[in-house]
Amino acid sequence: MLLRILKNSFLKRPKSVFLVFLSIAMGASVATAFLGIAGEISHKMALELRSYGANILLEPSAVEGGGFLREEDLPKIKTVFWKYNITGFAPYLYGVADFAAGGRKERGVVSGTWFTKQLEVPGEDISIQGIKGIAPWWDVSGNWPDGPDEAIIGAALAKRLGVNTGSDVETSVRGRNQRFRVVGVVTTGGFEEEQLFAPLVTVQTLLLKPGKVSRVQVSALTVPMDDFGKKDPAKMTKDEYEKWYCTAYVTSVAKNVEEVMAGSRAKPIWQIASAEGSLLKKLNSVMLLLTVLALVASATAVSTSLMASMAERSPEIALMKAIGADRFQISAIFVGETLIISVAGGIIGYLLGDQLAQIISRTVFNSAIVSPLWLFPTAIISALVVAIAGSVTPLRRALLIEPVTVLKG
Amino acid sequence: MSENIIETSGLTRNYGDICALKPLELKVPEGEWLSVMGHSGSGKSTFMNLVGGLDRPSAGSLKVGGEDLLALTEDGLARFRRKFVGIIFQQHHMVPYLTAVENVMLAQYFHSVPDEAEARSALERVGLGHRLKNRPGELSGGEQQRVCIARAIINSPKLLLGDEPTGNLDHKSTVMIMELLKELRAEERFTVIMVTHNQEVAAWGDRTIYLDDGVLVREERMGEKQ
Repeated sequence: MLLRILKNSFLKRPKSVFLVFLSIAMGASVATAFLGIAGEISHKMALELRSYGANILLEPSAVEGGGFLREEDLPKIKTVFWKYNITGFAPYLYGVADFAAGGRKERGVVSGTWFTKQLEVPGEDISIQGIKGIAPWWDVSGNWPDGPDEAIIGAALAKRLGVNTGSDVETSVRGRNQRFRVVGVVTTGGFEEEQLFAPLVTVQTLLLKPGKVSRVQVSALTVPMDDFGKKDPAKMTKDEYEKWYCTAYVTSVAKNVEEVMAGSRAKPIWQIASAEGSLLKKLNSVMLLLTVLALVASATAVSTSLMASMAERSPEIALMKAIGADRFQISAIFVGETLIISVAGGIIGYLLGDQLAQIISRTVFNSAIVSPLWLFPTAIISALVVAIAGSVTPLRRALLIEPVTVLKG
Repeated sequence: MSENIIETSGLTRNYGDICALKPLELKVPEGEWLSVMGHSGSGKSTFMNLVGGLDRPSAGSLKVGGEDLLALTEDGLARFRRKFVGIIFQQHHMVPYLTAVENVMLAQYFHSVPDEAEARSALERVGLGHRLKNRPGELSGGEQQRVCIARAIINSPKLLLGDEPTGNLDHKSTVMIMELLKELRAEERFTVIMVTHNQEVAAWGDRTIYLDDGVLVREERMGEKQ
């Protein structure tokens, strides 16, 4: 009988039902769209934010490093648990050198590094590593080095030496000389403008440090730090440590990398990590707030529609009470109606919201998104929450209807 | 002598400063057909609403079928109504989107379990076997009132309340409805409380009480005057 009542009620009051359905579907679709792109935005923004620079620094451990890391260990970075989160890394070998060009002499730092190195790791995809990938904000006037005796020079050092693209710079370290052809002048706004950057292998030879690197900068996709992420892993229980290790905090990724690099100590670059974390956290908060506001607006619309519907149906409710319906039976009818509408609204809202999320993603990030599996139940639950929140007041009003007042002749 | 189905003592109903029903002492024996007469505002509908558990007294005591209605909660009154009372309104009052048979089944649903065959049979008893699938808008006033009678008797109530049930009907339909009620009462043995301002309708009862300004001023048994 309840189903008959619900079916006939829907069929005979299409406008009222459609209004409630529309309110719920709109709320669910906006929630689906926002939540759908929220995860994607975090991922895309995290990628964009990698242009801030590396967020993990690997240095020789003071205890066992002996001052240098081994270049042969570098491919292991692409084999760690969080390998897919590591978007790039670049090794550096530093040394103090005397530079000479066009009759001018300067003492400065020569830095050996990878610019764009194709890295082949057995069992893993081929990847391109190096400074060009992890420092996209570097402004290189000219070209990136391609040969063993090509270099790029920091803008400040280039100015003092009076060199430009195409110039040669004689580099001397304790009597060993290497002539570099300057193929680009780099502007970074930082200390890099005081250095000369040359291929790692050439600088290793020049400094007599074959197979050595001074430090490695690692760029990794990480999640914003929270209170748990900030805890000291040494003081964690086994379960806590596992949870921490399996969450892409910058600290846990750093720890992961440290484990494969012999004699290394990995440190998060906190000014980068915390800025990213803060930005992503704020972005997620805004998306969540917008979702909640959309759901509140939707619940308000549902409530308004149901209030109007209840006013229209007060004789029907009064009659049901007069012939013996108790509060539970009255509630069952109206909650049943609302639940059916909300499930239908949730399904349609999900489908519309998914399309909306695709449109937003294509427009903003120029790429499609894959809806996570949890989004569908979330849309249905959102619709139910909207429906329940929106029907509390109308239902209370319905239960307060007095048959004597409404049915009097 | 049969037991009293209704017993009131000092039954009063106030609406703010207005006293719609002044302390009423009344006993209605089981199976009686009591007509309640009076002008508009005399308190007759108030009396019927109190007896039917649709309203609560301001003072006094009210027992219907041994049940002290003042002691019942809101849901308790709802249970009392669905098990004990059948109500027929002047304005018919049906659920507009349900058919005639579904409107009858609605009372069964609230009472216990809907039984379509039984609901059809009830409609056939009131002469509407051919209008089972019609909705209220497709029925005449007399037909709608007959659906309401079928709905009122479907759960075999002990007490049938009519609030001007023929007030909106022409003479011919009125007679048909009253004859139907008489026939059903003879079969079902329920007690009838019929509120009316129509002397002719009141005459169908065993006894008539007259209310004026909330006070029982007179009562008549069929064929006698007190």
